[in-house]
Amino acid sequence: MATFFGEVLSVYSRAVEEDDEDLDDENEDEQIHRAIEEKREVHIAWCPEVAQSLEGKLQCSELIIAVGTNAAGFLSAYVLNTESWDAVGHASLWNERSRGSSRQSIAPLPGEPACLFYRHRDNPAVLVCQSTCYIAEDQLFQWTEKVFGCLQKRGLSVMVLSDSPVAEYKTPDYLYGSAVPFLRSLKSSASKSQALCPALEQPNILTGLPAAVLSHCQVHQIPAVLYQCYTDVISPDSITMETYKPALLCLSKLVKLEPCLSADVLRKFAIITEAQSNLYT
Amino acid sequence: IYDRAITVFSPDGHLFQVEYAQEAVKKGSTAVGIRGKDIVVLGVEKKSVAKLQEERTVRKICTLDDHVCMAFAGLTADARIVINRARVECQSHRLTVEDPVTVEYITRHIATLKQRYTQSNGRRPFGISALIVGFDCDGTPRLYQTDPSGTYHAWKANAIGRSAKTVREFLEKNYTDEAIATDNESIKLAIKALLEVVQSGGKNIELAVIRRNQPLKLLESKELETLVTEIEKEDEAEKKKQKKST
Repeated sequence: MATFFGEVLSVYSRAVEEDDEDLDDENEDEQIHRAIEEKREVHIAWCPEVAQSLEGKLQCSELIIAVGTNAAGFLSAYVLNTESWDAVGHASLWNERSRGSSRQSIAPLPGEPACLFYRHRDNPAVLVCQSTCYIAEDQLFQWTEKVFGCLQKRGLSVMVLSDSPVAEYKTPDYLYGSAVPFLRSLKSSASKSQALCPALEQPNILTGLPAAVLSHCQVHQIPAVLYQCYTDVISPDSITMETYKPALLCLSKLVKLEPCLSADVLRKFAIITEAQSNLYT
Repeated sequence: IYDRAITVFSPDGHLFQVEYAQEAVKKGSTAVGIRGKDIVVLGVEKKSVAKLQEERTVRKICTLDDHVCMAFAGLTADARIVINRARVECQSHRLTVEDPVTVEYITRHIATLKQRYTQSNGRRPFGISALIVGFDCDGTPRLYQTDPSGTYHAWKANAIGRSAKTVREFLEKNYTDEAIATDNESIKLAIKALLEVVQSGGKNIELAVIRRNQPLKLLESKELETLVTEIEKEDEAEKKKQKKST
């Protein structure tokens, strides 16, 4: 075709023709799509005892999910530190940011970003999930459906602890340094419990795994409460972890907890980046 | 987004880069400055040093000249640049006008440098606040504070860095003529202010003083320990007195 400026461009015809050749192309496309889907599938692997009892669904009255390194660190320090928890499963998935978990059958190494499930020995109806790996948007629905698909819906109640950078917190007022880190809560309409901190104000929203879980609970009328901690540090930090302490009040009714933690134990779970970082003095 | 990338105004009059630079300052550990009658005191929270790192090269308190020194909070590298420029200016001033700088002069020089970087295209502001202390020729003690925007003010006592607000509130309550009556009392006020926010007490505090016509002196850890113990004893005595009176 001739253009205004005098060039001659070769143009492809956009007429669609149903050809045998096209079917092959489509098959190839389908194959590629399927391969990608398989690669991005979310696999939940349970330990043998739990897998057996899963012929029915797992009896679970309380599911506690920690999303993010500080939430996970808080649970590790205050809840999982007592000896009465068993690792019962893990979720493995692959996406651009979480590449390490391509081995499905082998449990993730400690310290690796992962999604781990723990069950209390004395009270097996209490399940804890620590999620420190990134779950992509297209995998969130699958994760939620598969995990909740293993649990009995009746009598289930969910608590989510999630980290978020304070830079994403929108407020008309200026946030003084001493206010950070702080908690905000969000509940599903089936939840009748009193939240232990102010509710998340508009126009702030949740994203990622916490949002997927809370949406699922809202749709299936499962009582769920979420505590979002806004913090200004990037790495796991003991002060941020301590901000989740109000959640202990709910948890202590269910399981025996570490009553009082020394600062040293907390610091074990917080990465000591300060000594290596000379950026700020 | 236009107002976050370079230093131009946002529609509601904010210079976001400058405000963000002030956030960077809060990532540095606390520094406190006290202006006494015959002494000026700078106290800082020492940051933990890596095992193999030479401790004496990790300093928050630096001399600018024999009679002026400063403590900073914020980006280490930015501080180095500002300090070097200030030191050169101090000597240049001595050579040109044959007098040492006044504390206000060198503060103004630093603040002007910082302000220039809030108006230049393509350059970000310096991410440090500084507490500048010293004595002028006429023997007056001075304390000034600068921040990333390039403002500077004289203070009787002030704090910068991580828990500055808490320390400043403490100083507002406790900076009295009595509290700075002697050199020792001024030093103890600085230590008390830092103990409000420093984790694990006196081990993580570094203190420097300038007395009239004397160079900067860094307190030794033994001296600090003695003072911290004194303060703890005074505190306990106060608490016992209060209990008795109730």
